[in-house]
Amino acid sequence: MKRADVTIALILTGLAAFVLLEASKLSFGSMRVPRTAFFPVILATLLLMLSLILLGQALRGAPTGRGPERIEAEGWFRIGATLVALIGFALALERLGFLLSTLLLMVLLLRAIESLEWHKVFAVALATSLVAYALFGWLLGIPLPAGILGI
Amino acid sequence: MDFFSNVALGFSVALTPTNLLFCFIGSVVGTLVGVLPGLGPVGAVAFLLSLTFKMEPATAIIMLAGIYYGAMYGGSTTSILVNIPGETASVVTCLDGYRMARQGRAGAALGISAFGSFIAGTFGVIGLMFLAPPLGRAALRFGPPEYFALTLTGLTLVAYLTQGSLTKALIMTVLGLLSGVVGMDPISGEERFAYGSLTLRDGFGLVPVAMGLFGITEILDNLAVIHSQSIYETKIKGLLPNRKDWQDSAWPIARGSVLGFFLGILPGPGPVISSFVSYAMEKRLSRHPEKFGTGVIEGVAGPEAANNSATAGSFIPLLSLGIPTSAIMALFMGALMIHGIQPGPLFISKYPELFWGFIASMYIGNVMLLVLNLPLIGLWVRVLKTPYVILFPLILLFCLIGVYSLNSNVAEIVIMLGFGILGFFLRRAGFEGAPFILAMVLGPVMETSLRQSLLISRGSFGIFVTRPICAALMGFTLLFMLWPMIWKRKTAGKDRSASAQKNSSS
Repeated sequence: MKRADVTIALILTGLAAFVLLEASKLSFGSMRVPRTAFFPVILATLLLMLSLILLGQALRGAPTGRGPERIEAEGWFRIGATLVALIGFALALERLGFLLSTLLLMVLLLRAIESLEWHKVFAVALATSLVAYALFGWLLGIPLPAGILGI
Repeated sequence: MDFFSNVALGFSVALTPTNLLFCFIGSVVGTLVGVLPGLGPVGAVAFLLSLTFKMEPATAIIMLAGIYYGAMYGGSTTSILVNIPGETASVVTCLDGYRMARQGRAGAALGISAFGSFIAGTFGVIGLMFLAPPLGRAALRFGPPEYFALTLTGLTLVAYLTQGSLTKALIMTVLGLLSGVVGMDPISGEERFAYGSLTLRDGFGLVPVAMGLFGITEILDNLAVIHSQSIYETKIKGLLPNRKDWQDSAWPIARGSVLGFFLGILPGPGPVISSFVSYAMEKRLSRHPEKFGTGVIEGVAGPEAANNSATAGSFIPLLSLGIPTSAIMALFMGALMIHGIQPGPLFISKYPELFWGFIASMYIGNVMLLVLNLPLIGLWVRVLKTPYVILFPLILLFCLIGVYSLNSNVAEIVIMLGFGILGFFLRRAGFEGAPFILAMVLGPVMETSLRQSLLISRGSFGIFVTRPICAALMGFTLLFMLWPMIWKRKTAGKDRSASAQKNSSS
């Protein structure tokens, strides 16, 4: 908990500095006529102060909330696999088309979250992809990308 | 204005077949979301937001509201039968509700929470109907300084009421405000922090960010530790509470309705807080406080009533002032603004059919939910048994399609995933998403009103303390901010002396 807080406080300090730097390229205006950079500069200053407070609290070892439940290796695997599947979907969507990407996504997710048997995985994945295609593409008329297969 | 013609207008809108259908769909989806742990009402509203674009505005808001109060009904079912809250507003219902189920009184607990919810929900809607219009008229006189004070008060209260570390909640608030800054300057139209990205030029979209923080984060969190849940297998019989149950619950429901409504109006997660406060209050007022936690019906009736009337109350600041006070209200604001409707003081007079139609639909929705929840309880129990392995991929798929359908833009999927991952790690470190999303929506309002105020006052911050309404809000905020510091110092002093004593004695 403490180490995480120190890390986050340092990252946020960096972020605040970055915002201040970027805002300095915009016009600040004045108190009478505040312009584009006015509000971001106030916010970045606040963020800087709060990050330093958090850093101070973490270093003093003040309790900043209860620690999270420990995640077992299995849990991290599920999370990692899910994220890979999701990012893969984002990359594949406009190249492979909706139907194929969804099928792949579902196969990956179904296998990753709980290792279902392969034939079940394919059956469920195929069914959900087709139903989703029909529901969103036809019924709700959302333009879904067609890919290499033209579907 | 003649009140009855307004109500009649409302029902004429709400009773059209389309609106009835979507009120029904909203209520069912809401109950479903409430029943299933793992997706809260915020996530559900976020991912259904994209489906509402092609609807009439009235239909859209009617369906989304149905989800919100439906989730409050549904949440209690999971709490009572599984001892896992379906959503956070039903956490306290677990305490006595689950105990009642273990004693074979699941039926009475489910029944009283449905009836209590119905009574309180109706009370809340009536309150909304009477309070929102005059407040809206009063707010017509608000200028930029008042709006700045309102947003500041709202954000401060939410940060202070968020569980866990105050510093962290404030950091999330500032981060949310900063995210709201990305894109075009609301006054001059200049581009900021967009780095040439077309997507970022319009700022971070509310829907991708909300779905990331409340949909994706929630699922990643659930994936980390999959609990094998056991539903308490029991024959649910006697859904109608008996005479004694009613006698015990009547006052808790009445008190919960009033309490929930007023706590709902205040900024913060009204339904969640009001259910806790109601439980504490019932315990204090009870003649047998020691029995709380062992399965007393008051402990179910009060909080369930409170969280339902709070949902109605929480619409008041949004519809009459244009200020959302919680993450879910921020999404409602987004839903209205997508249709070009700006909630605020002019909302009720400008769109009477929308406001009154919405009110009427909430009456109808509450009746629907009562009908849905009592006889169909067996169905909801079966839904509860849906394995995660099927549920999670489906929710994720809906999130992906929902975000993509907004603008057919893959970049928004990436934004959603980014905020989802960020939200997951931040949550594990004790940072909550609610202040963030609220701040992101209020950011532009706050910036515009601050800059306009300073233009009016020629750079003097005195403008915020010389106007009466503004000064009152500022004073209230300041008091609220200082209170915990004083209180903390006192208790910290006590703790220290206590631990010192302990050390010296050991």
